[in-house]
Amino acid sequence: MKRRHGKSSEVKLNLAAMLDMAFQLLAFFVLTFKPDPVEGQIMLRLPPPEAIKEANAKAKAGQDKNNTNPVEGIESLIITIASNGSGSIETILVGDGEVGRDVRVLDIKLENLLKDPDLLFKQVILQVGSKLRYDELMKVIDVCTKQKLPDGSQLSKLSFVELPEGAAGAP
Amino acid sequence: MSGAQAEGEADLTPILDMVFQLITFFMLVMNFKAAAFDMTLKLPVVGSAMPIDTKGQEELLILNLSPTGDLTVYGEKVDMVRYIAEEARVSRMTAKGKGMDIKDGDELPTMIVIRSDEASRFKDLYHVIKSCQEHGYRKFALKAKRPE
Repeated sequence: MKRRHGKSSEVKLNLAAMLDMAFQLLAFFVLTFKPDPVEGQIMLRLPPPEAIKEANAKAKAGQDKNNTNPVEGIESLIITIASNGSGSIETILVGDGEVGRDVRVLDIKLENLLKDPDLLFKQVILQVGSKLRYDELMKVIDVCTKQKLPDGSQLSKLSFVELPEGAAGAP
Repeated sequence: MSGAQAEGEADLTPILDMVFQLITFFMLVMNFKAAAFDMTLKLPVVGSAMPIDTKGQEELLILNLSPTGDLTVYGEKVDMVRYIAEEARVSRMTAKGKGMDIKDGDELPTMIVIRSDEASRFKDLYHVIKSCQEHGYRKFALKAKRPE
């Protein structure tokens, strides 16, 4: 069998069709491209609601040998945040003491409370008014998670309790 | 110029190379995770909010909470209680497949990521957190914007 050898024997691929397809793919990726939003987060460990135990300044961790419930031994600091009708902070109470509505005052108060090595607060319970806006709540959470415990660890254990409307502190 | 092939033909190889490079770029930066975010929500600005990369080691369940208290997942409004219960069941089964024995009420390894609008009320957020806790979720991340 004899092969015919023309003058231009080299094979040329038609790239136009491939380019069309590539442009289609490119258009798809450009149109569906959504840049990842730069967001931060506050990591929390939220234990299930348990009975509150008042902090005992004299108690030491592991002192009560009969206590088999690990959560019961966690001393809790109760912060009450009452909200007004517009969802802003009305008042903040740390334990029974009022700190007004400024979170900077709360920051100083918590710092003083938590640096005391005799107090064994490891968990903060936030009693929050049901109407409080999320941005206002985050200001309080921000202050709480910045606090350091006497052992140097960051406070990350928080619990939430909803203050029913009409309850003490709530409008 | 060769007489027989006088017509001008553009060499498409470089443009094809460039287009393939662009496609590769967009494929690599494509982020399917962003589809779970409801971008209409306005997150609050919090100073200590830090971007944390779990490097895919941790399973995340992203929940978007609107100012009206509706829960949206991948752009769909869902029945919160039923959705969380179903996700907890799936998470338990996945953990079982990995050899972990997680019973009802035990802590689940999944982290709940809550993206809530700054105007949403605490009662709605608390409802979500409480439902998650009832189904064994303990790890939470509250999303916020970092200050500029």
